[in-house]
Amino acid sequence: MSDSFQEDGPIPELRRHAKGKRPGFYETEGMDEAMSMIMVLASEFCVLRDRVDTIEHIARIKGVDLAKEIESFEPDLAILEEREKRRQGFLERLYYVTQKKAAEQSSNDTEERYHEVLKDIAET
Amino acid sequence: MQLNIFQQQPHAVLPIGEHDDRVRQEFSKSFRQYIQNELLPGLTPVFEGRASRKFENENGHPPTDRHEIRKAMVPDVYFQTYASATRIAQEMLWESVIMPLQKDLPELTDKAAALSDQSNSPLETDSDFSVPRYISELDIHCMPGGYATSHAENDIAAGALYDRGVYLYSMGFMGPDNDDMGQSVCNYIKRNLPEFFPQYILDLGCTIGHSTLPYKKEFPDADVTGIDVAAPCIRYAHARAAAMGHDVGFLQRNAENTGFEDGSFDLIVSHILLHETSGKAMPKIFEECYRLLKPGGYMIHADLPPFEKMGPFMQFILDNETYYNNEPFWGAMRTMDQIQLATDAGFDPDSVRFDTAPMAVMELSAEDQAELEDREFVAGEYAPGGGWEVLIARKDP
Repeated sequence: MSDSFQEDGPIPELRRHAKGKRPGFYETEGMDEAMSMIMVLASEFCVLRDRVDTIEHIARIKGVDLAKEIESFEPDLAILEEREKRRQGFLERLYYVTQKKAAEQSSNDTEERYHEVLKDIAET
Repeated sequence: MQLNIFQQQPHAVLPIGEHDDRVRQEFSKSFRQYIQNELLPGLTPVFEGRASRKFENENGHPPTDRHEIRKAMVPDVYFQTYASATRIAQEMLWESVIMPLQKDLPELTDKAAALSDQSNSPLETDSDFSVPRYISELDIHCMPGGYATSHAENDIAAGALYDRGVYLYSMGFMGPDNDDMGQSVCNYIKRNLPEFFPQYILDLGCTIGHSTLPYKKEFPDADVTGIDVAAPCIRYAHARAAAMGHDVGFLQRNAENTGFEDGSFDLIVSHILLHETSGKAMPKIFEECYRLLKPGGYMIHADLPPFEKMGPFMQFILDNETYYNNEPFWGAMRTMDQIQLATDAGFDPDSVRFDTAPMAVMELSAEDQAELEDREFVAGEYAPGGGWEVLIARKDP
């Protein structure tokens, strides 16, 4: 253990990874990495959207020194609600296929049924 | 759709960063909320339908316990997407706090040291302290560096990271000050033990003291102390309490062997501590509680409900934390006979029981509370049934 790091010595580099083997979730090689990349991109997309949102709100309300205003801006409850609603909606679109498959499970909409329909349509 | 816009109450040493850091943190919280509300419920039909059928075809019987359910679910792509999303959300949560914390660490460290200097309450850390293996072997709940990594003798980084992380992980359900567990147990004491006014209170495994401070608010004349094995958390806890205007002492001690004299406390509590210890540590902690309590004193541990209180599918859902979130004792702890452990430690079996402390943030009318306590465990709620499970025992007066 070193001494107090403010006065003497560099700021420590905080760890970015947790000790403990990361489990794999998908059988397809690279899929775990891809999923993580997609979600990080999704997060950055949301960050940007939220920032634009902040700019728009401030411009509407005041229109002065936006950069400074952004840093001191505190969204009110209505804005927080609006943002939360948009994020949940975004996640819904992102998980479109997953939710589609869940709906198929509930309604028994199978590949077999699909092919039966193909055959049926061709023959009748 | 019920929208969650819970916000954490800022204080002098909270690492929230700048605008983009804050909304990045909010995204990780939104993602967790979405997983709980919208992805998790889909696991039930997937299990009851194709996953269970496939398992039965291969094994000649449907899955019966949580281990077989796990075997049936792990190969299913819906489960894979759910579990992978949960893990990624956890990683993004920590990363979103580490980014601003890295930048603000010198300033926050200075502020913490100044706040601690102003406090009248003791702060004690020991550079030779031996952190138990169950804390140091894996970074619990995937928090990079874990609770106990200390970069310097005044380092508070792990505590600061945890404070913001608790708010994001709990999606704000711990309340603006992350104090819902402590507050809920205080409410439980007031309601069920109205004649009990503890003078000396000890919080075991207190981390950053977020559950400790409610006891000082509830019993302002009491001497309240928090102990933990992690020095950066203890330092942060001391500064945080000072920032919030509370005189609470924080000491780096091990709950298995605290070093306090026999009969030092009227009330000993812990909050989500036991599931982060070990099979050998838990009985020692119960024995230590018995030793430290004055006659007539109470021990109350708020933690996760034992597996026997829920069906095998719910056991499987919760046990995912063991496998995917660096929680080595999460599952095993729930199979331990805690009533027996308390009895073995010396408590009168008639005084030992499990109960539910309704979540303080959810406190509604008395009727609603009664309803909460009777409810089945529901997946997707942050706390099982809207309440915290408490193990309570009293030392003979």
